[in-house]
Amino acid sequence: MLLASCGPAHVVVQGNFPPPLIEPLPLTIGVWYSDAFSKHEFFDDAKSKTQSSWIVSTGVAQVQMWDALLAGMFAHIVHLQAQPTPGQAIAGVDAVLIPHVEELQYAIPAQTQVKVYEIWMRYRFELQSADGSPIAEWTMTGYGKTPTALLQSDQEAVNLAAVIALRDAGANFATNFTRLPAIQAWLQEKGVQAVAVTP
Amino acid sequence: MNIACVNESSVFTMIAKALACASAALLSACVTSTVDEMVYNKPALGIGDASVVILGRRHASDYETEPDFVTCVGDYIASGDKTITVISELDFLNELYPWFEPRTAPLHPADIERLLQQKPVADKMAALKVEYMIWLDGSTERIGGSGSMACSLGGCFGFGTWSHDANYEATIWDFTDKAEVGHVNTKATGQSYMPAVIVPIPIIAPVQGTACDGIGQQLLQFLSSGQQ
Repeated sequence: MLLASCGPAHVVVQGNFPPPLIEPLPLTIGVWYSDAFSKHEFFDDAKSKTQSSWIVSTGVAQVQMWDALLAGMFAHIVHLQAQPTPGQAIAGVDAVLIPHVEELQYAIPAQTQVKVYEIWMRYRFELQSADGSPIAEWTMTGYGKTPTALLQSDQEAVNLAAVIALRDAGANFATNFTRLPAIQAWLQEKGVQAVAVTP
Repeated sequence: MNIACVNESSVFTMIAKALACASAALLSACVTSTVDEMVYNKPALGIGDASVVILGRRHASDYETEPDFVTCVGDYIASGDKTITVISELDFLNELYPWFEPRTAPLHPADIERLLQQKPVADKMAALKVEYMIWLDGSTERIGGSGSMACSLGGCFGFGTWSHDANYEATIWDFTDKAEVGHVNTKATGQSYMPAVIVPIPIIAPVQGTACDGIGQQLLQFLSSGQQ
């Protein structure tokens, strides 16, 4: 028990992610989750003896959230079994989406003296056409925070903040996808009428 | 719906200086609370079979409206008038995802109109029969503390004290008229104590609970006004 208490604080992010309430675009989208994405883990080494190290595993929750979101945003989703290479044509899809988690930062009250736990994530997305040519590449963020609460451990609070950050990332993606100029042009080319989803 | 705009502005000042502090001190300390209310267009015939949703505002950078406070106010209303259907915050956020997340939530009643232009959102709102949307904004903060306590195998000795401040505002939106129809503000403050002679005895001031009761009572009066 003494040995266990000396290890890093480990959070495997768990949460429920609802499908979006959006009119789906009539498109079939291939999705590729790399290992770096589907097994995403963030490690922060303790800076001093009074702090503890942290491991935040978001991979499983990332896949759950993006699966639920994309299935609601598009008519059909196809999970690709192999990583698409540049220029490689993929049959049966209109485009291929490849998400990446570029950065994750966290803050807990012990570090900031503010009574909230925070998680911030930066994503990068690649959207390729069925023939492998790039359509768009963009970055976006997700942010979540949760207040301190009685009888709530640091791990529970960080998990909750991560779930809120994932939901925020989903909200950001869902509401801004059709606003990106490159994607607007591509949708126009495909003859897809995108309903403006301004929040 | 009300046709005439009745401007009812009343200021309630509830000074709840505790149920006999001497006896209450065994379990809880004293709390002082104030509730201010300003509402228009009370539902003259009650809200019928429509429902109410209570949501926490989460836009501030340095605090969060606590989800348990939102639940507490909802429970107070639902238990005070069984005819009122209160939709739980999490259920509503999940059903309407992603339109009521901190990033996307409407900030003004007029924004609802834009949201309802989307058919899935309009259909869901109609299915949920939302008549009133109540936004809660605020938090309970611990403000300072003093005293000291030492514990050993023989027990604890010493004395500690600290206080909490709760400050919340409820903003009521009429979903049908897409208009703001009232504000209820509550402030509560209380001092907690922890004397220790061998065993520490926490005497906690229920600050957040008092704020919940204060704001819940006024919201219940508003929503049940047609039945009184």
